[in-house]
Amino acid sequence: MNNPKTLTFAFMDPPFESERTVTFFRLLDAALERGASLRVFAYEGAVALAFARQSPHGNAVHGRDAAEEDHPLTREWIRALQEKAAAKTLSFEWINCGLCVDERGVNEVIDGCGRGGPPDLWRYASDAFNTLTIGTR
Amino acid sequence: MKVLQVIDQAFRTTVEEQDDTILWLTRSMRGAGGDLQVLLSGHGVHYAVLSQRQPPLELGNWKQSQPAELLRDLTDLTESGVPIFVVREDLEERGLANLPLQAGVELVSQTGLVDLYQQADQIWQW
Amino acid sequence: MSDYLFIQSQDPFTEVRCAAQYRLARQLREAGHQVAVLLVQNGVVPARRDARDGAFDTLIASGVAVSADGFSLKQREIEASDLKADVAVGDVGDAIDALLAGAKVIWN
Repeated sequence: MNNPKTLTFAFMDPPFESERTVTFFRLLDAALERGASLRVFAYEGAVALAFARQSPHGNAVHGRDAAEEDHPLTREWIRALQEKAAAKTLSFEWINCGLCVDERGVNEVIDGCGRGGPPDLWRYASDAFNTLTIGTR
Repeated sequence: MKVLQVIDQAFRTTVEEQDDTILWLTRSMRGAGGDLQVLLSGHGVHYAVLSQRQPPLELGNWKQSQPAELLRDLTDLTESGVPIFVVREDLEERGLANLPLQAGVELVSQTGLVDLYQQADQIWQW
Repeated sequence: MSDYLFIQSQDPFTEVRCAAQYRLARQLREAGHQVAVLLVQNGVVPARRDARDGAFDTLIASGVAVSADGFSLKQREIEASDLKADVAVGDVGDAIDALLAGAKVIWN
């Protein structure tokens, strides 16, 4: 527990599947709001949260084209949080489990998101003041 | 820093990952020097009484050659110095209390969880 | 003595494990620890005044501090006045405060 203002989060859910994803991102936003630097370890399906090729789509049922629908994408949520952290001069690190990336083929990730493994989670947690893990179901 | 890894679910992706992903994560972090314990609760208690390798999946002409070896994975964890606990009442309510526990796995009661949670610095619920 | 915060996303109408999760929170409280539960997602549903779940009612009667995430309440159109007594309106930021205060924060 070295840095009193750094928190580590581990998350497992892929995008567009669970309400947990929204709560997880809200937690990250709230942490930045409180001046905490963040380290995220994305495990299993969560590695797709940063997938660079996520694309917004229109929605005929809603009667809106792609621009009008303005579909949420988790890669944009990550980007927004990166920008918020930068504006507050806080650090925001994101590591995807590399094996989890490979088996899903989601290798192309947005800038600022790296590749690692469980030892990185242990390093993150050991260096942070506190850690929250959010498993999947 | 001592972390208690709580595994409350079982068989989540044991077929396609050929292990339990949290047991695997724990083993890997242990290799990186982590001070870790495992608590098997809920359906996770099944792992403490398994006696065989997982059944291989067959789909069409595709056949799994390396199904999960959870028994081995638990043994590897205990032998690497990771204590493993299992909740007695969760075994009982699933009809598993009369089966032999895997060597090295320790029984803990529901009320004993208070002390188990208290001695850890962090609780990681998966 | 330790501080615990359980972020309770599971609800007793879907997840039978909730009863054990509520019980552990009570047991920690009875052992002398500070225990809070922040209801999120469908975890807020039993907090509605007319919702019926004995295990949840036992939890809020036990002295464990229970609050419900305001965003999750709004999604379900649950007003503060709709909540059972002893359930406050909270926010996920409360979980961050707990983490930064060194509490053991546990996701259910």
